[in-house]
Amino acid sequence: MLSLQLFPSNPNPTFLNPSFKPLSNPQTLKSPNPYPKSRHAPISSVLQWNRKPELAGETPRVVVITSGKGGVGKTTTTANVGLSLARLGFFVVAIDADVGLRNLDLLLGLENRVNYTVVEVLNGDCRLDQALVRDKRWSNFELLCISKPRSKLPIGFGGKALVWLVDALKAREERSPDFILIDCPAGIDAGFITAITPANEAVLVTTPDITSLRDADRVTGLLECDGIRDIKMIVNRVRTDMIKGEDMMSVLDVQEMLGLPLLGVIPEDSEVIRSTNRGYPLVLNKPPTLAGLAFEQAAWRLVEQDSMKAVMVEEEPKKRGFFSFFGV
Amino acid sequence: MASIWLLQFPSLTFQHRVSSNGTSLLLHHRHCLSQRLNWIPPTPKRTFSMRAINDSMSSEEDNRTQNEVVDTANSTLVVDSKHPLTLFQESITSFPPVGFLMKNFPKNYFAMGLCITIAIMVVALRAYAERKSSQSHPGSVADLVRRGQLRSDRRGISRPLKYDDPFNNPLVKVGKSNSTVEMCGKQYRLAPVTLTEEQQAIHQKRRSRAYQWKRPTVFLKEGDSIPPDVDPDTIRWIPANHPFATTASDIDEDLAQNNVYQQRGVPFRIQAEHDALQRKLEALQKEEKLNNLFIDSRNAKDFQRPFKLNDKSEEPVEQGPINDSRVETKPTKPERVSNSSESNLSSEEMQQP
Repeated sequence: MLSLQLFPSNPNPTFLNPSFKPLSNPQTLKSPNPYPKSRHAPISSVLQWNRKPELAGETPRVVVITSGKGGVGKTTTTANVGLSLARLGFFVVAIDADVGLRNLDLLLGLENRVNYTVVEVLNGDCRLDQALVRDKRWSNFELLCISKPRSKLPIGFGGKALVWLVDALKAREERSPDFILIDCPAGIDAGFITAITPANEAVLVTTPDITSLRDADRVTGLLECDGIRDIKMIVNRVRTDMIKGEDMMSVLDVQEMLGLPLLGVIPEDSEVIRSTNRGYPLVLNKPPTLAGLAFEQAAWRLVEQDSMKAVMVEEEPKKRGFFSFFGV
Repeated sequence: MASIWLLQFPSLTFQHRVSSNGTSLLLHHRHCLSQRLNWIPPTPKRTFSMRAINDSMSSEEDNRTQNEVVDTANSTLVVDSKHPLTLFQESITSFPPVGFLMKNFPKNYFAMGLCITIAIMVVALRAYAERKSSQSHPGSVADLVRRGQLRSDRRGISRPLKYDDPFNNPLVKVGKSNSTVEMCGKQYRLAPVTLTEEQQAIHQKRRSRAYQWKRPTVFLKEGDSIPPDVDPDTIRWIPANHPFATTASDIDEDLAQNNVYQQRGVPFRIQAEHDALQRKLEALQKEEKLNNLFIDSRNAKDFQRPFKLNDKSEEPVEQGPINDSRVETKPTKPERVSNSSESNLSSEEMQQP
């Protein structure tokens, strides 16, 4: 399911990134050649063609992507939203904060390039810039893994280490990141506490089933107790056909239960598994898949600190009359 | 081709005036055909006659038309302007069959057409093959980019992805009222989000009541005493069998922080290992020197050269089976002097602390 953002709801978008220059005011600019006739048909939309989002909030924006329940799509969301942000021209550092089980490198196809992790940085075996893995597809996207499997961080120390990391990344003269995405492990124990320590805002990933919703609600409570107030929700693995048949909760039902603004709605897509197998996040697919498009829209809203205003609900197709064959 | 001719044929104006002169009809018909259909008129020897059935034609004119040379392959054409079916039949029968065309038309044209077609195909195939080979040229820099050894964004061979607005997707068709969307063959209705700020605040209050949690700052193992002046809510007990209980907190926090903030230079542990290796190497080198000196002083006789007759101060050569090796190893005067100096040096080194 996709949503259309018809008007940006942020009335005063702040522009803080000096390296990024918007074309002009998004509400008044019209592109000189909006629709090349050979490629696109005119679409009735108030939006511009090929505009870029305006960065809102203070940089670097430290966002933790969490869920509580495992397997709902945190790592997939981190990889796809991160690459979408990189494609928009922002410097992004993605941190895989799962101390024991590392997955983000697999999803990005960078598993053979992870030589050093944060544990080596802490021990003095390498510098921080040596532990950062730069993606060759998008050079403004970097990955940092906390640790390799079989190595552990002492409890209570991980949170401090992440805070130092974020400060050190901020202090870099070149390539200071605009976004730091932290892929949080499942659960609410030490790994979760470590991951949320340096975060200013959170993206809660959930699926429209009751088990995931209960865990998501608890995680939201813990985040608010820890001082993170800017929490937005992504509803993943949505099946519009099941929602239509009343076998699955609708996105509005989910929102009613959790009471969180919507960042994105991602439809169920088999391309997710194929992209994992290839190590190629699906936002890079050409042509984009539905899920990839939804991730891009979610990344857009994250940049502008915006939320969805409407969701798409599948309906029965219109019954056509006799003359529909003739286009009437 | 027949269809084109069929389309064009109704527009033909035969102007088949029924006149007493049958030849004028024939000529006019031929003229119309050549104009409309770009048909090369046949040679004068091969003409097609059309016999207009007309009562007014005299017998003399009949005979005249019959005297013209007519190709036997054709059937006579009965002109009936009124019925379209007959016109259609005329159009089919008036044109000679393909076999006849192939026979009678100059073979040069067919051959030329064939050659042109073959030439075009060859050019197209070559262009395709060149394009293919340029793309999959083995051993080119593109392979290095593909393998990840070179960055593709710095090279001109790769094109950066052009970013499209995800909200302006041509596959998504919005209805006129902006409330319906058609996408991938399915119809969707846009349902507005109903969450208000008051509802959000209600949920936040509910959660703050339900979940009371403080970030743990003190981690204790079983048997540890609770430190004073510590909020019990911030204490976390680690079970003895927990895997994290076995990790000793022997990481120096200040050192770790410095390691994280280091931007240039050699990392701490690498430097420490390097220094340790350096010291070890120096120590080994010293030991080797000592060993070398020790060997020289003991086995100097083994390496001495044979004693020369004119030098009376040297030691006499020992007799026996070992003599051969020893003879060769007797040192000469300068060697003895150097050996003595080395032994002095080694004794000095030994005395050094």
